[in-house]
Amino acid sequence: MIEIINPAWLAMVVDGGRYGYADIGVPPSSVLDRYAYTALCRLLGYSTDIPVLEIMGHDFSLKVNTDVSCAITGARVTAFVDSTPAALWKGIRVKAGSTIEVKEVTEGLRYYLGFSGIIDAAQVTGSYTTNLECRFGGYFGRPFLKGDRIALKDIHIPDERVIDESLIPSMQAPHLLRIIAGEERDRFSPETLKSLFEIDGDPWYKVSTKSNRTGIRLEGRPLEFKEEVERSIISEGILPGIVQIPGDGQPIIVLYERTIGGYARIGHVAKTDRDLLAHLKPLDKVRFQMIEPEEAERLWDEKITRYYDMLPK
Amino acid sequence: MDWTRYGEEGIRIVFGKAINADVHEEVRQYYFFLKSLDLQEIIDIIPSFTSCIIYFNSRLTSFSTLVSLLKEKEKGLPQTQIPAPVTHTIPVMYGGQYGPDIEFVCSYSGLTADEVIEIHVSTVYTVFAVGFLPGFPYLGTLDKRLFVPRLETPRLKVNEGSVGIAQLQTGIYSFESPGGWRIIGKTDVKLFDYTEAPYSLLKIGDRVRFVPL
Repeated sequence: MIEIINPAWLAMVVDGGRYGYADIGVPPSSVLDRYAYTALCRLLGYSTDIPVLEIMGHDFSLKVNTDVSCAITGARVTAFVDSTPAALWKGIRVKAGSTIEVKEVTEGLRYYLGFSGIIDAAQVTGSYTTNLECRFGGYFGRPFLKGDRIALKDIHIPDERVIDESLIPSMQAPHLLRIIAGEERDRFSPETLKSLFEIDGDPWYKVSTKSNRTGIRLEGRPLEFKEEVERSIISEGILPGIVQIPGDGQPIIVLYERTIGGYARIGHVAKTDRDLLAHLKPLDKVRFQMIEPEEAERLWDEKITRYYDMLPK
Repeated sequence: MDWTRYGEEGIRIVFGKAINADVHEEVRQYYFFLKSLDLQEIIDIIPSFTSCIIYFNSRLTSFSTLVSLLKEKEKGLPQTQIPAPVTHTIPVMYGGQYGPDIEFVCSYSGLTADEVIEIHVSTVYTVFAVGFLPGFPYLGTLDKRLFVPRLETPRLKVNEGSVGIAQLQTGIYSFESPGGWRIIGKTDVKLFDYTEAPYSLLKIGDRVRFVPL
């Protein structure tokens, strides 16, 4: 059993995502940093999806009442087990009665805490992940509150594993997001597109405080539609990473909580940069670079080789 | 049919450029065909007004390999069993506290509330897509006399069961959520039940008839 002492700003159960039901509008609600998540599962001795905690904010703490291993990945944080500094991206054995605390987030936004046991969360359509909007899955479909208790099942104690520093990607702003061309890119003139790609001066976009798990809103010089083009599209299926431009010209990056959208698509964030979206925090600066689909695929293959394949098996 | 890449892990199949019944019927047929293949390479399918989006597993296949495979399989398309659309009757409480925007619709259209209701219930709608929220049906086509624009600033909270209209569409909020459609009524019918398959009351191609309470 684990007991939440302080849930920080937002702590919820996530896993690899809810798939197979997008045709009836069910979004994936997936963990946002999939690489940090995969690393976490491996550290705990699992080769497949397990439910873990996705946490935002400082001053998180919980207590375990059983001997278990845990690990923290994702954003860089200052963590402690019973007041002793705890290593990140490393499996740590903790004793029954121990308190795990995160005091500060120093780089990135979301961090992940997992255990070498299965959190007894609700599975809906095969996934433990919490759908916050519809209030299902995870811990009663909601974020954790102070005092919540949740059981751990099938606890095992894996050998202590560690992930090498070289395998931890940077999450520091400013962020560079590489995108491939979107379906409605031609509705924007080359002049206005410049503001999306220029490096100097104003053209940087800033992450809005109105960002959430559904989408990252950016604020900067508005992109202007060409005259006499439709601004909206016939609503259709959307996938994570799509960069939409609504009527006000401020980009919104789609995450994992919607299946259908109706705004002009200027681009798709390359898969290799998609985990970074988990770490864009309000006021962070973001810039875009347009790349070809083949380049995106090459970068993804490189990420598999340089990062995923190097994780403990 | 037009096949294009949709990001790195997507295929976009477009069947037409405008919202109409024939294009949508093609989308629906193709969607049921894709489902019948039950390919492990396909993670999700999102059918809507004019297109089918396929989200595929890029570890198992690639855009070009999957497109070739589907084109090969397509020869079996005419034999695919397409389920017959189901017609659902949805009782609605119109106006007042249940339909806070009905007055706006009246002033925009010049119709009385009774006329708005009468026109809204006189069409049997087609479910063009299910999405935005789990189980939320995009229904069409709305009678042109009821055309209204979306709210300039969407509401932060629209109640579950709210029946809304926007442009030439009508829909039902399957969960409480933010939303920008004009709300004219409310139903108690549960559109999505996550505890039991098939989860969504409505699927693409089904028909919906509203009745006033």
